[in-house]
Amino acid sequence: MPKQAKNPARIETVVAAFVFIGIVAVILLIALLNAPTMGGPRVMATLQTYLTEVRETAIPYMVVVGIVAIIVAFFAARELRKVWTNRRRRTELITGYAFLAPYLIVTLTFMIGVILFAFYISFNDYDIFTRPKWIGLSNYAEAFQGFTDSTKRDFLQSLYNVLWYTIIVVPIQTTLAILMAVLLNAPIHMKQFFRAVFYTPSVTSSVVITLIFVWFYLKAGYVNYFLQTSLGWVGISFEPVNWLGDPRGLIQLIVEAFGGTIPSTQWYFRGPSIAWMAIMFQNIYTTIPTFMLMFLAALQDINPALYEAASIDGASSFQMFRKITLPMLRPIILLVVVLGTIGTFQVFDQVYLATKGGPLKTSLTPVFLVFQEALGINGPINMGYASALAFILAVIIFAITFFQRRFLERGTELY
Amino acid sequence: MIDVDLKPAPVLQSNYVSQRLANFVKSTLRYLVLIAIGIIMFTPFILAMIGTFKTDLEITAFPPKFLPEVWHWENWTRVWNTDIGQGGTFPRWLFNTAFLSVTISVSQVIFCSMAAYAFARLRFAGKNGILNFMLTTMMIPGAVTLIPAYVLMTKLHLINTYWSLILPNLVAAGTIFTLTQFFKSIPKDLEEAAFIDGATHMQIFRTVVLPLARPALLTVLILQFQSIWNAFLQPLLYLNSPDHYVLNVALSIFQQQYKAQWNLTLVGAMFNAIPVILLFFIFSRYYIEGVAYTGIKG
Repeated sequence: MPKQAKNPARIETVVAAFVFIGIVAVILLIALLNAPTMGGPRVMATLQTYLTEVRETAIPYMVVVGIVAIIVAFFAARELRKVWTNRRRRTELITGYAFLAPYLIVTLTFMIGVILFAFYISFNDYDIFTRPKWIGLSNYAEAFQGFTDSTKRDFLQSLYNVLWYTIIVVPIQTTLAILMAVLLNAPIHMKQFFRAVFYTPSVTSSVVITLIFVWFYLKAGYVNYFLQTSLGWVGISFEPVNWLGDPRGLIQLIVEAFGGTIPSTQWYFRGPSIAWMAIMFQNIYTTIPTFMLMFLAALQDINPALYEAASIDGASSFQMFRKITLPMLRPIILLVVVLGTIGTFQVFDQVYLATKGGPLKTSLTPVFLVFQEALGINGPINMGYASALAFILAVIIFAITFFQRRFLERGTELY
Repeated sequence: MIDVDLKPAPVLQSNYVSQRLANFVKSTLRYLVLIAIGIIMFTPFILAMIGTFKTDLEITAFPPKFLPEVWHWENWTRVWNTDIGQGGTFPRWLFNTAFLSVTISVSQVIFCSMAAYAFARLRFAGKNGILNFMLTTMMIPGAVTLIPAYVLMTKLHLINTYWSLILPNLVAAGTIFTLTQFFKSIPKDLEEAAFIDGATHMQIFRTVVLPLARPALLTVLILQFQSIWNAFLQPLLYLNSPDHYVLNVALSIFQQQYKAQWNLTLVGAMFNAIPVILLFFIFSRYYIEGVAYTGIKG
């Protein structure tokens, strides 16, 4: 019967058309939210004033997004039309996207849309209240001005600090986490208890731990007291140090011990400052337990037969650790190193609470700088510059984790 | 697992004794190290806890005394009664933190498990593309979205509303990924039986998959609760009026508010730490499985 055969065909076309319109509408709405316009109370007062603003500044952007939306919607509608006659495939397609809809909408709005906006803004002079002004690569150039003008070295210094931070923190926390995991993995009583106690620093918020440590690091704090008494027992006198206020760098201290000096114009030779290393210590304390748990889980997956075989062959515990445990942990080591690097490159909480970037900018970090520039804490609001810094940071993180992956994964092939 | 007990080989008696002795020394040493690490890991909390009962002078005295002369319980009530104006009171901050942590972790469990079901069980065009897209977004450092998300929130007039923290955190790629891996490990038989009986995917998801996945859902719930409770940078940016502070942000204000009164700041810190530590000790099994799971599969 031709009538019946014709009817479903019409339905699927109508549905496909609705889906097409729906997808385009949703994507355009998301684009509208993230359109690169000025903000500010005047523009944002009503929907009308905002739309006027979008019409004046963001038409090219909306057109580009619109074209992408039409392409995506076209493929979606075509797919729906194609599978319409097959009940199972149709329900799976519809349910699948219905279940993914919250994820897709939230991610497109608060991640992708937002990143596109930031990318555009990073080429502009933008303070929220006025229209973004296109200035090309100036923001990116400004970030690296420190190479020629040492008064504008904030970003370079923050990268320098954070590089030291990663170089020191990541290896130490990874090593200690492995050792603690191995210790916990041995046959011991009250394993659960020890595991819970070891893990506590990772459960509490970094704000709490930082505040406790700021208190420890006071000149009249427990750290100085502990060092004074314990060094006193072995007959060394110790002058209390103002841990979080001491800008002297590690290399600087060594050089000065030998009677040399490093002038402040050569800050990049001074190494991490005492304040910065104090923060590193605190950070290591908080992150070890999480990584310890990852290693512990991985250790439990290692086949005990390997150890039995080795011990029959007369291998010592240390040999077994080197020849069995470490190689078997390799993938998790890679993961922990990568996660650690991503984390350390983005330190913020500790800096914000403990030092605010000081003393002498030796604890300034890129994320703290981004925060400062975006909120205009030290001068005018500078969204464009802040976004440019964030992108440079992201590229650096990507590059470093990429090389870590190459380097550590190549190692795995040996085993 | 490292020191596997070998069957006592026919060796000299003296050799056997020295072996036993060596083992004893080894395990004693191991417990000493374990206890030492345990003390190091826990000391800051104990010292801070004791510190909350000291006076302003005792807390920064040098050399510090371990215990306060008189236990000042009123420090806790003083902090509880903090009022910095504009609705900024301590109970309010506690409520904000608890409310946001519960709302966000529950909504994440709902929306992420839906997405995970789609990834783990359904077959449709574009699924792998979206999955790869999601894995890529997990690599993007948070610093990049921070600033523009703040601009978006101001545009939407959401700054200083709970929505500013809830909306972007409704879903999390990491949670979806963990749950997807878990759903894949559940046997399909039951679902297929239900499907043949004519159940819809929504019914299967609600009545078959979710009950089976309860441990994983609880793990995700707890981990997300903790991560929102401990969040700092996002609430610092989005919730910056005194009546919308979360505890962490309020604590950073405390430091300035109470200047040298470290005893009061520490009370605030303990108020913040105790709920998550309790939660952790009650549900530590789920925590540990959760961290291990995300670690290995992530």
